Amino acid sequence: MNGRERVLSALKRIETSRVPIGEIGGGYTDVIIQAVLGDKYDHGADSYFLNHQRIRDLLGADIVGPRVTGPPVEIMGIHEDWGTETFKDFWGATHTQPPSTTIQLVDPIAHSPEELASWRPPDVSHFDSSQMRRWKDTTDFFVLATLNAGFDLGYELLGFERFMKWTVQARDTMKQYYEKLIDANLVLALMSAEAGADAILIADDLAFNTGTFVDPNYLRSDYFPILKDMVTEIKKRDLPVFFHSDGDVRTVIPDLIDCGIDALQSCDPNANMDIPTLKREYGQDLTFMGNIDVDLLASGNVDEVERTTRDLIHDARIGGGFILSTSNVVASYCQPENVKAMYAVAHRELK
Amino acid sequence: MWPSISIAINQLLNEGMNSQQILDEQLLSGMAIVGERFKRNEMFLPQVLMSAEAMQTAIDILKPHLAGDSEARQQQTVIIGTVKGDMHDIGKNLVRIMLIGAGYEVIDLGVNVPAQRFLDAAIKHKAAVVCLSALLSSTMNNMKEIVQAFRINSDLKETKILIGGAPLSREFSQSIGADGYAPTAPAAVEQVQSYCEE
Repeated sequence: MNGRERVLSALKRIETSRVPIGEIGGGYTDVIIQAVLGDKYDHGADSYFLNHQRIRDLLGADIVGPRVTGPPVEIMGIHEDWGTETFKDFWGATHTQPPSTTIQLVDPIAHSPEELASWRPPDVSHFDSSQMRRWKDTTDFFVLATLNAGFDLGYELLGFERFMKWTVQARDTMKQYYEKLIDANLVLALMSAEAGADAILIADDLAFNTGTFVDPNYLRSDYFPILKDMVTEIKKRDLPVFFHSDGDVRTVIPDLIDCGIDALQSCDPNANMDIPTLKREYGQDLTFMGNIDVDLLASGNVDEVERTTRDLIHDARIGGGFILSTSNVVASYCQPENVKAMYAVAHRELK
Repeated sequence: MWPSISIAINQLLNEGMNSQQILDEQLLSGMAIVGERFKRNEMFLPQVLMSAEAMQTAIDILKPHLAGDSEARQQQTVIIGTVKGDMHDIGKNLVRIMLIGAGYEVIDLGVNVPAQRFLDAAIKHKAAVVCLSALLSSTMNNMKEIVQAFRINSDLKETKILIGGAPLSREFSQSIGADGYAPTAPAAVEQVQSYCEE
């Protein structure tokens, strides 16, 4: 059984001899890839593909999470505080990438609801899906095409506080904004399907560790109906849909199921998202992916990682519907030995 | 931005209520309800943000009156920032917003803040409390350096240091000599309030 078949079995609630394992999106930062691959790290022109293939082969991962790619970003200048380049993305927002951290917004796509109302997303139909096709045609990994929807991307392009306030102050404009972002991402989803994706992952953080950022009733009235339309369109191509959100999303799991979501990823134990518990309540309708705390991989030791992973597999594998992964992705600050230990346990703990 | 607040406060002042009473009975009591409801997931981030913005507007209107009121309490200052090497700010911003809502003067140093900037700001603003945020295991250890710098500075020995962020714990806070750890934004406000009442 290859990785693709193993993940598809999990989605059908069929328990496999070994639990499927892998990460969403890029999965592993370059720092981790270099540390794990050592001399096998490639520095050539095709290094991104080769290194991501090699680390998955070496760890025994089943999943790859490519994106349809856009044009190169436009360099705008140097950030005066951080000294890093500022660049405009294809959506029109300007960001910078300070060392050792996530991308920071420098200038949003709109400064007022009126500006946002007249904002139009770019044409994404010319984006490049050739890498997606390459993963599908040349490997046995489950190709989990990664894209966004309207909420997480929405606040990344506007700034978090501005976005949150406008959900109340400019409600109609925000609904139109979600529709615009989702329409563009649906085009990317359909391109991914054409390029051979095995499933679509919608990355859309909705919550803190203590609950959703906004009232679940707001999501039900203003956001989930639009998300449901997106999922419905994707599923017309017979593709399963995964949903990633950090944080505690328990209050909206029934809504995500109603939207047609097949699998929920992250399931951070720090956010009370315990997969064995969630499976007991929603396991008939949803596959769960995640549950290994990224911080455990950063600050724990190999024994702790092995014990936690073994216990999780034991409790979560029964009846299928479980994919082992970190609760986000393997970050640069994780210990390579812990990452290897987590994957090795999955390969040892056979049914 | 909030014209109705200006009208309401001026009306209360004209009715003879003093500025401290308005702050305590009209504003802080309202924000306490916001904090409680947020903690119980009955109120959410957008509403907390807007409440805090309204509160800040009200405080700005009241400031000249508070300065002229001999019975008014001095507003205490809290310094907040994400430690060096770490650019995460959602949690830190939420704490800032809720502290403003609780009536504190908050100096936000932003993200990637080196130890010396925390010290300089604490001295300059005579801060009662310094709140340190970190989201990464790799940057949380930078907090130790900051705490040590405060502890050896004779002007800052009394300054309380509160830490918060996903990878942290009460045990970690104790191990680096901080005064406390707050797992959530409402808990951070409660901790700051307890320090300021000591």
